[in-house]
Amino acid sequence: MRKHIAKILLLPLAAYLMYALFASPHTVVDDGKIHVRYWFVSGPEEVIPYRVTQFNKTHDDIFVDATPIPWNEHEKKVLTAILSGNPPDVVSLIAPVQQWASRMSLRPLDKLIEQDDFDTSYVFPALWEEVNYEGHVFAIPTHTASYAFFYNKKLFRNAGLDPENPPNTWDEVREYSKKLTRMDDGDYTQIGFIPAYGNLQVSVLLANELGAKFLSDDGKTVHLDNEQMVQSLEWILDYYSDYDFDKLISFQSGFGYADQHGFLAEKVAMMILDHTFLDGIDIYKPELDFGVSAIPSFEGYETSSSTGNWWMAIPRGAKNVKAAWEFMQFAVSYEVQVKEATLMKQRLMPANINAAKDTALTNNKKFYNVLIEQMQYAKTPSIVPLVNGTFWREFTFAQERVIRHIQPPRQSLAQGNKVIQAELIRAKEYDIYVRQNMELEEYQ
Amino acid sequence: MTNILEYIKHPLKRKQALAGYLFISPWIIGFLVFGIYPICMSVYYSLCQYDVLRIPQFIGFRNYSDLLFNDNYFWGSIWNTLFFTVIRVPLVIIGSLLLAVLVNNAIKGVKIFRTIYFIPSIITGVILSSLWLWMLNPQYGLINSMLAYIGIDGPLWLNDPNWSKPSIIMMSLWSIGGARMLVFLAALQSVPQHLYESVELEGGNWWHKFKHITLPLISPIIFLWSILEVIVSMQVFIEAYIMTKGGPLNSTLFYNLYLYNKAFDDFEMGYASAMAWILFIITMIITVIQFKGSKRWVYYEGEGAK
Amino acid sequence: MTQKKLKNIMIFSLLTLLAVMFIIPFLWILSTSLKPESAVFSFQWLPETWKFDNYLKVFEKIPFLLYMKNSIVISLITIIGTVLSSSIVAYAFGCLEWPGRNTIFIFVIATMMLPLQVIMIPLFIMFKELGWLNTIKPLTIPAFFGGGAFNIFLLRQFFKSIPKSLLDAARIDGCSEFRIYWSIVIPLAKPALATVAILTFMFTWNDFLGPLIYLSEKAQGTLALGIAQYAGQMNPEYSVLMAASVLMMLPVIIIFFLFQRYFIQAFTMSGIKE
Repeated sequence: MRKHIAKILLLPLAAYLMYALFASPHTVVDDGKIHVRYWFVSGPEEVIPYRVTQFNKTHDDIFVDATPIPWNEHEKKVLTAILSGNPPDVVSLIAPVQQWASRMSLRPLDKLIEQDDFDTSYVFPALWEEVNYEGHVFAIPTHTASYAFFYNKKLFRNAGLDPENPPNTWDEVREYSKKLTRMDDGDYTQIGFIPAYGNLQVSVLLANELGAKFLSDDGKTVHLDNEQMVQSLEWILDYYSDYDFDKLISFQSGFGYADQHGFLAEKVAMMILDHTFLDGIDIYKPELDFGVSAIPSFEGYETSSSTGNWWMAIPRGAKNVKAAWEFMQFAVSYEVQVKEATLMKQRLMPANINAAKDTALTNNKKFYNVLIEQMQYAKTPSIVPLVNGTFWREFTFAQERVIRHIQPPRQSLAQGNKVIQAELIRAKEYDIYVRQNMELEEYQ
Repeated sequence: MTNILEYIKHPLKRKQALAGYLFISPWIIGFLVFGIYPICMSVYYSLCQYDVLRIPQFIGFRNYSDLLFNDNYFWGSIWNTLFFTVIRVPLVIIGSLLLAVLVNNAIKGVKIFRTIYFIPSIITGVILSSLWLWMLNPQYGLINSMLAYIGIDGPLWLNDPNWSKPSIIMMSLWSIGGARMLVFLAALQSVPQHLYESVELEGGNWWHKFKHITLPLISPIIFLWSILEVIVSMQVFIEAYIMTKGGPLNSTLFYNLYLYNKAFDDFEMGYASAMAWILFIITMIITVIQFKGSKRWVYYEGEGAK
Repeated sequence: MTQKKLKNIMIFSLLTLLAVMFIIPFLWILSTSLKPESAVFSFQWLPETWKFDNYLKVFEKIPFLLYMKNSIVISLITIIGTVLSSSIVAYAFGCLEWPGRNTIFIFVIATMMLPLQVIMIPLFIMFKELGWLNTIKPLTIPAFFGGGAFNIFLLRQFFKSIPKSLLDAARIDGCSEFRIYWSIVIPLAKPALATVAILTFMFTWNDFLGPLIYLSEKAQGTLALGIAQYAGQMNPEYSVLMAASVLMMLPVIIIFFLFQRYFIQAFTMSGIKE
């Protein structure tokens, strides 16, 4: 009996599988509207962003078809999409713009900006630098992350430090940190400040503050081992000498995410964090008694900061350029940016300066202002456009060698620099070759 | 290898040969369509500077010479990968085999045990990596907590350049209950019972049975897996990609991870293609050595004398 | 206590000891899936509050049923293609003699050695030329053309262990090679074929890279892709992610458990001669 039932089911199953196999791809609905395909890297929320739903509500002739793509592997997906010759019309990405722009995979927006008289001053200047490459604009920034100096007021009090008087210079940070460090039974239970913990590279920040120049003006020579960077790493190496390195690593490895994050778990008293932590603290550790101040600097120098970068662009080969551009302008308008900011759980900072300032927030408004201030001093992390990946990788290895006492700063950086320089030369040669041989009128 | 003429002359042999060609035609077609083109393109790319988004620039053998003579990480990554392979493969094969022997008993509930052993092997890379980051955490992880219980001060595991590779090898041990064990089990099950009986009649114990009957008869499968494991181990990637990103101090910068960095972070597809071909050659050499060695210990019942 | 009983007890204890070791990963995933999100990274075993609704949340965050259907379809087609074509090709390598056999077999092995990362791009370009992008064809049709070098190799090893005398006897009787393949070798190799089926299932079920680059439409997604997408968001809820993984692993575990029956009987070769 069972065998018969199985056999009867077999045929329709086989038929269905054949159908599934040879079914044609999803065809677009024909409703008279221009369909703009939009891929966005899923932000803190996975829902379709407000900008899409609102745009579709207010525009009769254009429909934005939005698809979230996973954050990891998103480069591969966009890469293959451009390769297929049929990319989405608009993308929202996070990687350094110049990584894509320098490879001619994004459409220059200059003409569109001119035609529509688009006001480019809406955005923080530091971010605008980021989307420029070789004199052309390739993307428009939508969001950013701003960094500031976070410190734990309760731990300050416990250590006898004035919670309203955070350190202003790096030497002060060092002194404070020693007071804020505790050990128990030979293991660390609390540390003041750990330079190599966190997603902001403190040593590069220090170098920037000292006025480091990583790339020559003609873009042909890279100087990872410039004087200021060497100084910075020497300072960091010296800083680590106040602590037991192995025990520190062990302690650091116990940090995790959310409420296990070093700062939230109150194991690290001072840290440079991005503004999303304001919301993060609200969610995971609302009782945390903390303060936010400007990032410290060296005596006599100005503070510096870094930026996160969320942007929208039109891939090379996209079909519905005008409609896409209309959508993009809409997305960075004041109203949309403000509304989106209120809808996110862990808010990104709008790139639109006015929206950023006016975004309704919780009781953290005074801290938020510090973060907006810091954007003035921010420098983009895309230091060497063509070989960004190599640059940061070599930098990380060099720093690691230094703090693990394998190599002194100057030699370590010089070693890394050789690799970056070789890579840069290759990339430049290739660039020249492509421009001579590839037919791309304005990447049409 | 018998003469082709023989095949043409003898009708039975001819029939076999024709059937042979007919039966492998699916693979041949597949190889020509899905194999030859990508392979040829890949070889071409390996001789070019190419970032996928633009056109390839022919540069001859520069990728290869840069890799062999100018690359700081090439030899290190080969060493890391070989170290990993040489230690992991025997451990994992012996482990799976012993496990298969163990679960080959018709004992009550063995199905459940087999399933339990199987489960860790299907946990996907991303989840598995976060799991192990937790287990190997020097401060709170399960492993160090248990070691502390018996008075040992556990190492920093993934944070220590000397322990990072052993940590990843250790992770592999949890997968010995997976596909491998399954295949060994199938092999053990196809050993004819009467052979065991004849050993018993001659007064042999379980060790004799194992050594003289089981091992030889399943040696083809062991051989298959040793080839496969080497190939797979040489391509180790996901654990390092998610957990260590090649650190600390490049101790887990495996060859395939370095290749990936070059291909998708640096957009150096040409360079990465050259790396892939070098890996292919190395793996090929190891496999050929294994094949030559197999004549000594692999036994095919179908062809050999009884 | 008899010898046999003692032996059984020892085996049972060993099995249990190992079971404890092997179940730990799964227990952790299970326990995390039931924790409230804020406790996800804590180093404790039992959740303070049991959040069964994490499992319900999975269906909100990911179009689970749709993706499951897609995964099943792709897996089924691939399994059928793989088992059929790899077995017939393996038969040619393991049971037939023909000129060039060993040379071509070396090519088959060689294809296993090329890292996927690099064939990926040219293969993608080729599928684009064929017009197969945005369909499941790149993921399924290649399975019908050999089914993968590993499966061919695996089955060949099994087939080689079948006594040649058996096959020759059938040939002398006038059986066609196909008949020998279908009526003699296939039934004998059931565990091997079942293994290939399970392995193929495991691989396709968990494959996320293929669907990532070949399936652009949201409605075409598979489970593996859906979970990877959810994990790849900036701030996924790890507890829900673990719950989704548990749900995704369950079919594989159940199928593995059920397929065991192919492994229970130890058949004998000599039985065939009768």
